[in-house]
Amino acid sequence: MAASIVCGRTSMFFRSLNGISGSKTLLSANSQTLLLQTASYNPKPLRLNLREPYIPDSSSEKTPDWQKTPRYDRKLFGRYGSASGIDPASLWPNHEQLERIIEEENEWHPPLEVKLKNLQEKERQVTEKRLAKEKLIAANMAKMPKMIADWREEKRQAKTKMNEEKTRRSKLLAEARESLGQTLDPRNHKFLEMVADLEKEEKKKQKLLKKKQKHEQAAVPPPPPPAAAP
Amino acid sequence: MSFPKKPGKALDILKNLPRITLANLRPEPGSFRADKRLGRGQHGGNRSGRGHKGQRQRGNRPRLGFEGGNTPFYLSIPKYGYNEGHSLRPQYQPLSLKRLQYLIDLGRVDPSQPIDLTQLVNGRGITIQPLKRDYGVQLVDEGADRFAAKINIEVQRASEGAIAAIERNGGVITTGFYDPISLGILIKPVPFFLRGQPIPKRMLPGQDMVPFYTDAENRGYLADPEKIQQARLALAQKYGYILPDISKDELYHMLAMRKDVRQIFFGLAPGWVVNMAEKKILKPTDEKLLKYYSS
Repeated sequence: MAASIVCGRTSMFFRSLNGISGSKTLLSANSQTLLLQTASYNPKPLRLNLREPYIPDSSSEKTPDWQKTPRYDRKLFGRYGSASGIDPASLWPNHEQLERIIEEENEWHPPLEVKLKNLQEKERQVTEKRLAKEKLIAANMAKMPKMIADWREEKRQAKTKMNEEKTRRSKLLAEARESLGQTLDPRNHKFLEMVADLEKEEKKKQKLLKKKQKHEQAAVPPPPPPAAAP
Repeated sequence: MSFPKKPGKALDILKNLPRITLANLRPEPGSFRADKRLGRGQHGGNRSGRGHKGQRQRGNRPRLGFEGGNTPFYLSIPKYGYNEGHSLRPQYQPLSLKRLQYLIDLGRVDPSQPIDLTQLVNGRGITIQPLKRDYGVQLVDEGADRFAAKINIEVQRASEGAIAAIERNGGVITTGFYDPISLGILIKPVPFFLRGQPIPKRMLPGQDMVPFYTDAENRGYLADPEKIQQARLALAQKYGYILPDISKDELYHMLAMRKDVRQIFFGLAPGWVVNMAEKKILKPTDEKLLKYYSS
């Protein structure tokens, strides 16, 4: 079965080859026949039965409905041409349909200029956003050296403060040890009380010092304002 | 709302009828279908058409994708946006320069005429399926060093190497957009002509495709011709070849042929009807039609 089909196909192929070689062969030279073939597009034959066209009777009830539509009429014209008896003017949309088509096109298919404009607008927005972001980053980066310097200063100050505290504490401890004896536990409540007392006294001293300074400043009269020009 | 402006007969009846209650409701005719009565008749004591044993008979099959307790495949694979919208993405069938050269050498494509999709499809060079979201053909630069034909070709996408290979041989390449309807007509002209319809206008590309087709580097059909000439020269410099002057070519007329933005076929304007049986072209004369088809 399959073999017979293949045979049929090959015979057809040879036939078509013969047809081609018949039309496009270059024969030459003495005893040898040089066959120069160019395969070309071999279109499918248009199987149109133009001798007995089937044109359904639109008034008959037996004709199915789908053969009475304008779409089918166009098809008939496409198949048989003017022999179909269809008015060629009916191939194009009438004014009403055309208006509807134009309306739809206006709604759904904007012209190229509109599309380009939309694209430009979109691109403009994107660049604007990007530039704003870049500006922000640049401003923040300009602040960066100062922020780093501030942070270093803060760190340094914290460190000095800690050292001061440490020395003060050790000084206090030494003082307490002088009065309370060498073997002193820093967790002892007597010691803690003493430390608190000492701190209080120190604070008082500081306060007094500040007051005195303020007083002195107030005593010194501020520099007189420059005399008004005559 | 479709409400009668004048109270008609139906509204009067409705006013006089009793209230709708469960007692006077009944199902829509045709909405009710009697259950299949199983286990009756000749095969009463048998399996009632459900086969033999198991989940198939008892109707307690597990849900789709369930693997009997394993983590199902559809849950074990993470999902990420790589394939988002894959079913809507436009597809372009590849056509390599190697294959194009092969088609030309065999005479399946005629290089003495402008080549577009119709020629490529008729020569069985490619297959386009507009219903599978094919938007045309992309020219790939495989075999670019062997390509030696001077052609005027119109494709939908082309790689830079392919453009360079064609222009190096003195050819012309254009990328053009076809909407799916125009594409269907372009790849199968004869069935369309047998439909007896006027050739429609080719639609413009959508907003996302406009940048591609207005770009001279892609040789887009909406690009400025002067810019295209500049891009041709720039590409020749980039790839290191001397651009042949087309205007002095004997095939200049063929090489200079380009379709209109709204045109589907070479030599056929939108709005014309081609009749195969009579071998005639019918053109509209109505002013409105002419205006519509020429816009």
